[in-house]
Amino acid sequence: MIAERVVLACLCALFGFMAFIAFGYSLSDALGPGAGFFPFWLSLMGVLLSVALLVQSWRGRAIAGRPQALLPRGEGARRGAALVASLVFVALLLQPLGFRLTMLVFSVGLLLALGVRRPVTIASFALVSSFGLFHVFYHWLQVPLPIGLLGI
Amino acid sequence: MLGTLIGVLPGLGPAAGTAILIPLTFKLDPTGAIIMLSAIYYGAMYGGTITSVLINVPGEAASVITCIDGHQMAKQGRAGTALGIAAIGSFVGGIVATIALVLVAPPLAKIALSFGPPEFFALMLFGLCLVSGLAGRSMLAALLMTVLGLLLAMIGIDPVRGAPRFAFDIPDLYDGIGFIAVVMGLFGISEILLAAEAPAGEVVRTKLSKLLPSREEWRRSVGAIWRGTGIGFALGLIPGIGAIVPTFMAYIVEKRVSKTPERFGHGAIEGVASPESANNAYANAAMIPFLTLGIPSSPTIAVLMGAFIINGITPGPFLFQERPDLVWTVIASFFTGNVILLVLNLPLVGLWAKLLDLPFQYLCVGVLLFCVVGAYSLQQSIFDVWVMIAFGLIGYVFRKIELPLAPLVLGLILGPAIEKSMRTSLEMSAGDYSIFFTRPLCLGLLIASAVVLAGAALKLAPKALKET
Repeated sequence: MIAERVVLACLCALFGFMAFIAFGYSLSDALGPGAGFFPFWLSLMGVLLSVALLVQSWRGRAIAGRPQALLPRGEGARRGAALVASLVFVALLLQPLGFRLTMLVFSVGLLLALGVRRPVTIASFALVSSFGLFHVFYHWLQVPLPIGLLGI
Repeated sequence: MLGTLIGVLPGLGPAAGTAILIPLTFKLDPTGAIIMLSAIYYGAMYGGTITSVLINVPGEAASVITCIDGHQMAKQGRAGTALGIAAIGSFVGGIVATIALVLVAPPLAKIALSFGPPEFFALMLFGLCLVSGLAGRSMLAALLMTVLGLLLAMIGIDPVRGAPRFAFDIPDLYDGIGFIAVVMGLFGISEILLAAEAPAGEVVRTKLSKLLPSREEWRRSVGAIWRGTGIGFALGLIPGIGAIVPTFMAYIVEKRVSKTPERFGHGAIEGVASPESANNAYANAAMIPFLTLGIPSSPTIAVLMGAFIINGITPGPFLFQERPDLVWTVIASFFTGNVILLVLNLPLVGLWAKLLDLPFQYLCVGVLLFCVVGAYSLQQSIFDVWVMIAFGLIGYVFRKIELPLAPLVLGLILGPAIEKSMRTSLEMSAGDYSIFFTRPLCLGLLIASAVVLAGAALKLAPKALKET
């Protein structure tokens, strides 16, 4: 329930902020509604709806049928953290390192973090998912993927 | 094949699956790309059944009800028959709905051609109200998600005046938030994050040699398949109803009409045949409001709509006039796709079942790789990869507290069109709002929208009072 209230409060703040920004755009002009009209009223609706849901939550009625903890614990938390960290790694290094090298490191690192301990399997999978996938997308399907500073 | 693969792999639904496979269509012409993505869509709808039957885990939400009797059949050593009747039911449902699509779509598109901006605004509002009124157990939460989706669609250049909104001088935001990156995050990344928390179900080991039902099972299934098809088709015409409702309704109806309802829940073949037929009939019927009116009925169809737009095609009534070659080729592909689905899937059931042995670690890395490729390659933008990661985390949090994602996605895809039609309407009337109330069809749709929301509120109110 606390997690739900935190999320709803964040949404309320976001809608409030968007309403404030939208108010700065013209709400109407000579031709009718302006650029700010739609976002302003939508943001206000968002504020009202999140407040209504917050009130409901405080009165004991959760949105979720079976409220659960927002963050996992133990092994689940470790796996989740590894997934997010690996994605951030990809986003940071995809362009400087290029697709092949980034995905090679990503695959090896994530498989190790998720508990795989077979070196040959990890190496084969990582090669296929980096160099193999690059070949399929870049050469066969002509999907542009980044080539890094090292030319890989 | 790819659609079924997506449906089979646990932790990857049809919306995310269709989205992450968009890059595979880049080399194809628009018609080929749309055909491929449509095939992935209904392939995924069937693929979800395999996991429902074999590991009691639905590959996608519409297969939830199939778990009940399908998994019981598998435990009794009848997994092959369950998967066989599901494939046959899906085939019948898909073919019948496609024939109806051919008959219904052109006249409906013709009627829609007479719509002006106020009617389109009211129609899209009606679609969003249906989605909000029918999604999840809290209408307020669904409305909140719709509003959030609509607001996210406002980011970027104003479609009418050309002024930037919510861009904060970030050049990447001038083009708005990439729809595909958002969908991949909300459905793909969040599903993998959730799957990483929970251990996978146990695969039922059973012989899959006997795929065709016995004479007695045929007798029980024929009526169930037709009833399921009828229910799926009828409900597929209503935008926003979602694939879960037709399958549940088909199951309930089947149990009601059965002379031996006590068999349901213990491996009744009708409990698989009817929902599966309804599922595929729904998937094909949902193409009618999409192709004729430009209203996506589900997140997966919203992804398809995104693919149409990427290829420079706008779904709606003009599609039948301006691109009959494309639209009829796509519809023809539904027939061949359904035939191929049956021909390929029956003999390949064993192969699909083997995929369930794939360890989660490899599946996880593979899915994330495709998500990154999909998000990046659309505009060769690393910003889209960040958007995908951010929406992956947002989707994870929203799913945890059961904020429905479908209204958000539909709001995001319909946002620009709904805003544009509303503002064009008001420009037509020089700012006079009565334009929405003086045109009969527009007024009718607005009243219908209010009725849908009021109906949903009245339905949920007693439950809410009881809980507080």
